[in-house]
Amino acid sequence: MRLLAGVIETDGNEQLLIIEDGVAQLFFVESEEQRKEFAYYSLLKDRQLHLRNESVSGPGVFRFRYGPVTAGVREAGCFNLYTFGEKILYAGIDLSWKHRRVENAMINKTPQQAVNLAESICSNFALSHSIAFTRAIENALDMKVDMGVQNWRNILLEAERIYNHLHVIAKLASAAAQKVLSSHLSSLFEEALRLNEILTGSRYLMGINDVGGLHHIPSLEDMQHAITTYALISKRFERLFVHSVNNANYMDRLHASGTLTADQAIAMGLSGPSLRACGVKDDLNATISHLIQLPVITQNEGDALARMEVRAEELVNSCEYIIDHLKISDAWNFNSDEKIEPFNQSGEGCGIANSPSGAIAYYVAVNDGLITHAQAFTPSYVGMCAAAFSLDDHIFTDFPFIFDSFGVHFSDAAR
Amino acid sequence: MLKWWPLFGIRRHLTEKRAYKSPINIQSHYGSIFQRSLFVYILDVGSSNALNFEISALESPQYNIHRFGIFLTDSPRHADVLLILGRPTEVMLAPMNETLNQLPEPYYVITIDDSCDALMMSPYPEMKHHVAQLKGVPSPSEILGLLLAISKSKRIVL
Repeated sequence: MRLLAGVIETDGNEQLLIIEDGVAQLFFVESEEQRKEFAYYSLLKDRQLHLRNESVSGPGVFRFRYGPVTAGVREAGCFNLYTFGEKILYAGIDLSWKHRRVENAMINKTPQQAVNLAESICSNFALSHSIAFTRAIENALDMKVDMGVQNWRNILLEAERIYNHLHVIAKLASAAAQKVLSSHLSSLFEEALRLNEILTGSRYLMGINDVGGLHHIPSLEDMQHAITTYALISKRFERLFVHSVNNANYMDRLHASGTLTADQAIAMGLSGPSLRACGVKDDLNATISHLIQLPVITQNEGDALARMEVRAEELVNSCEYIIDHLKISDAWNFNSDEKIEPFNQSGEGCGIANSPSGAIAYYVAVNDGLITHAQAFTPSYVGMCAAAFSLDDHIFTDFPFIFDSFGVHFSDAAR
Repeated sequence: MLKWWPLFGIRRHLTEKRAYKSPINIQSHYGSIFQRSLFVYILDVGSSNALNFEISALESPQYNIHRFGIFLTDSPRHADVLLILGRPTEVMLAPMNETLNQLPEPYYVITIDDSCDALMMSPYPEMKHHVAQLKGVPSPSEILGLLLAISKSKRIVL
């Protein structure tokens, strides 16, 4: 499938960043037809901070402002919910509270300095941002990255997927007052974060990836520890998950909540688990060659339950993927001190990464070794729109199940 | 046959028995009045989300903060500690000040700044009882150590 990841304007020209068969490419807009191919084109072009900014009126209808200071949504963001009491008639989202202008801060920085900024857009997707950004820089400056680096990046992306999926599923269990389940999932989440720290020195996998290589690679002893721990996490998670899906009360809260059809999901520009839960196979796994192929998990219902099931199955697959790779690690061990030098000092390019919640894409332009233009396109931005759309016509008690099941974050969406 | 959920809970002992050290020395003004219970309100004003995740990790059974009498509360009016995550964006300054106004005396304020220096974030305003300013992303054990130092809890399990 063709996915429009972003719209870029440079010197009066407009370019579309399109992902097709796992490859991101830039296309100059030459006709209106190119724009019309993607229903969410204007959403990505305008990049507004007030999503679905319309108002609803009627007898007894009022605007319920949820945020930016509320314990329900811990991040600094705000929902504008139109309701006459119990039912949400229309939901809008205000991202401006978390807008930090990270892309502007990248201007006039060297690519190496800007990696930290890319990571700080959303720390729980820090590695995905870092990899998408460095791939864009590597494309722009014509750098060919070692196969060992590519494999380590793939492994660490799966490590990021594991702890993020655990967090989302734990939040869903907590929202349904499944205290035992959510406590166990929280403990697995903490175990995954500790393992990240052992492998990379950061609980959020920050600071390990760099332009043209990695700062360091884990020791063989740490890899052995990771194999054992991921096997345990996978085993414990499977037992908990199988037990939880037998709980009719819990399933009832998720089933038919925030349902999207495949056509709606495609029209909104969704990617990742939210799209795959609607039965659409994306090709984000093909963004880079894998030693061992990762299966693409799909479900057909398109509701909160389907999104959780996709995440659960992906989590187990990611654990197996890491274990299988680390067992054959000797085959592609390399010296992390050897960095690839840029072939050029100027250029423009794009890069993508398969984050836990969908495609992260970057466009960068570099002139004489300094960044002159940087744009990040995040899965949370379109995901927020889809979450708001899915909230329409549901009752307030469905709110956490619908919103949390998309795995989106204000920091990621607002940049 | 469906097993009873709590069986999962009682068969595993996930809580860790260890000491938690505060990353900084706290100058407390109120003696030990929070010794038995400490209610914390979390306010994100512009963090990169790592701190929100660390708070979620702090709620995991490994730390089991409730055994120390530490609870996260849903309202600033019930809070003894306001834990501010991140440096504020310009528009979050007003909601942050309003939250401070809602805190009942006595209270403490802790700030954790995880923002990159290159980002143009607002500085923290002058705040009463601002007892701790952390930089970077502290681990849950460091955050718990800080809260225990504030509460002067004697229920530290070794």
